[in-house]
Amino acid sequence: MQRISTEEVFDVLVVGSGAAGSVIAAQMARAGKRVLVLESGPARQMSDLISSQIWARRLKWSGAPVEEAGNLPIGHNFNAGWGSGGSALHQFAVWPRLHENDFKLKSDYGKGLDWPIEYDDLRPYYDKVQAEVGISGDATAEKWRPPGQKYPMAPLPVFAQGRLIDKGFVARGMTTAPIPLAINSEVYRGRKACLYDGWCDAGCPIGALANPLATYLTWAVEAGAEIRNEATVVKVLHDTSGRTATGVEYCDADGARHRVHASTVVLAAFAVQNARLLLASASERHPQGLSNKNDLVGRYLMTHPANSIYGIFNDETQPHLGATGGQLINHDHYSQKEKGKAFGSYQWLIANALKPNDLLGIANTRPDIYGAALDDFMRKAATHMGNMVFVGEDLALAENRIELSEHKDDYGVPLARATHNIQDSTAALAEAAVAEGLAVFKAAGAADPWAGPRIGMHIMGGTVMGEHAASSVTNQYGRLHELDNVFIAGPGLFPSSGAVNPTFTIHALAMRTADHILGNDTPSNSSPGQ
Amino acid sequence: MQHDRRKFLKSSGIALSVIVSGEILRVSPRSAQAAALPYQVLTEEEVATLQGLAEAIVPGAREAGVSHYIDKQLGAAAEDCLLMLKYLGVPFADFIGFYRGGLHSAGRLARLRFSLPWPALSADQAQTLLVEMNGDTDIEWDGPPAPFFFFVLRADASDVVYGTEQGFDQIGMPYMAHIEPAQAW
Repeated sequence: MQRISTEEVFDVLVVGSGAAGSVIAAQMARAGKRVLVLESGPARQMSDLISSQIWARRLKWSGAPVEEAGNLPIGHNFNAGWGSGGSALHQFAVWPRLHENDFKLKSDYGKGLDWPIEYDDLRPYYDKVQAEVGISGDATAEKWRPPGQKYPMAPLPVFAQGRLIDKGFVARGMTTAPIPLAINSEVYRGRKACLYDGWCDAGCPIGALANPLATYLTWAVEAGAEIRNEATVVKVLHDTSGRTATGVEYCDADGARHRVHASTVVLAAFAVQNARLLLASASERHPQGLSNKNDLVGRYLMTHPANSIYGIFNDETQPHLGATGGQLINHDHYSQKEKGKAFGSYQWLIANALKPNDLLGIANTRPDIYGAALDDFMRKAATHMGNMVFVGEDLALAENRIELSEHKDDYGVPLARATHNIQDSTAALAEAAVAEGLAVFKAAGAADPWAGPRIGMHIMGGTVMGEHAASSVTNQYGRLHELDNVFIAGPGLFPSSGAVNPTFTIHALAMRTADHILGNDTPSNSSPGQ
Repeated sequence: MQHDRRKFLKSSGIALSVIVSGEILRVSPRSAQAAALPYQVLTEEEVATLQGLAEAIVPGAREAGVSHYIDKQLGAAAEDCLLMLKYLGVPFADFIGFYRGGLHSAGRLARLRFSLPWPALSADQAQTLLVEMNGDTDIEWDGPPAPFFFFVLRADASDVVYGTEQGFDQIGMPYMAHIEPAQAW
């Protein structure tokens, strides 16, 4: 171990530069605070976002390994990011809001956990973020949409693939609407409009997609925040009382240790690493890990169960066009969570833009095909394939958790071990949805549709918020119950998963936390300089 | 000359750097294959098995340079490594062992069944072994699980065959790049 070489003082330390960390950093810097963002991965520029599914793998997690177990592993390395912008740099920009019935699972259904807030507490922050970064969509067409401001931009166009699959939904009496996307359908506040080329998850270098380099991370820097890359935080430091954090210790790229201090510390290193850092920051005052007196840090880990439906159509589908996240959305069965043996809400994300290769690429949709038959399949699918994705609700279960492994990383910090199993009711939800999806594709004209394997999409929980220390890790603003000046930001706070992509909610929650830190009880009117 | 080099890199889709006699050459896997450039990690026997196996799974993989691509990635630092294996729960430190174990087992399987190395197998013989690798019956195999190794190698071969601008064009899909992949890996 190299010696501790520097000690600096800031107003706010933010650990992680993804969606949540960027929002916090921007809001703090705009308010005049001296902000340091510590990011374990390398610096990223827009020019790094090369249009290639192979190159895009640089944007995925390359830090300390995460050991995974369970019947539905969380898929950490695919879901997490590496470098400035974190996982939000390769997000699909599907930004639906949580529904009103997502907030009180335990009270309303006797399952999982309750949020300490309701939809109405979050609504103004959804509206605020939406106005700042822009969302394209059709609020009226989303008949299931909770109340809120209409989208500031018209939806992105629907291409052949979306129009074809939509016929299947219509035939079965179901409804679709344009997906709400944090992607510009027109020039918005100086950011360019989308070109519909389907490279979203390789990172959008033109700024049409609201990744942190196009929005809050850049706004944070413009407001004076410092981003320090290749700085891996290994411990949160606190005073002798154990109630107040004094800063953090981090290792730079050469392995040298540094200490930086601040009056406020915000952990925004994504669900798994936040929990790992708390557990690894055990001290005499916090022998089980920071703020872990009740053994709740790491628990209630969640991931959305997801399955893709595929089909080959007679008509050309132009599957390369549009956004990676899809063209249309369906929430017809979202409001009814109790479905016999199945439990949970779900959504369909319809007509995702496809590329030939990578984990979600065309070749991997039929891993059983090889040899000459593979080439035949690829040529047909490249022009005639359709697909859509089921995203289901997971339940917060205490036994699904992040723990520390007996193995350690290069800095001597124990690795994270993530265990995640779904219950029978969640599996039943996925199985019923897959059957529905196959029926929709048949109704749309696909001859022999098929389903992909169940995978874990998104990562939530592990540092859940709640009313009481006996059942949660933080209060409603993300502040640790056992320390007065340490906040968690990001999807780790979610006490329930809902069945929507989490990035919009991450932004809204982080905005709410920032306002609270700054002493504002209602949404502030600060906005990025344009 | 400079123009030609840019054009070459643009057309190559993916590129890699190879050290030859102390000089760093930046070439595409396809060109590295064509020029028979040396390998940094894999042995001659491993390369032969890899090329024969990958070609049987994804036709065109050998010419597209799958062996140079994998060899280069196995020699990269963790955060520079682009192999899809990084998504699949295998620690980076085990990547070389993963490929070595799979290739040695596949090579042994070919010798046990047909007394031939993979490049010398007929199409039918290769097909027989691929079915065995993906089947439920026990085979002589002590590397990573055979179906998993098959899946990973198929994905790698799909990357170099279909994941480049040339590969997109081959199957009639417009590439439509914002930023073309024109630098060395």
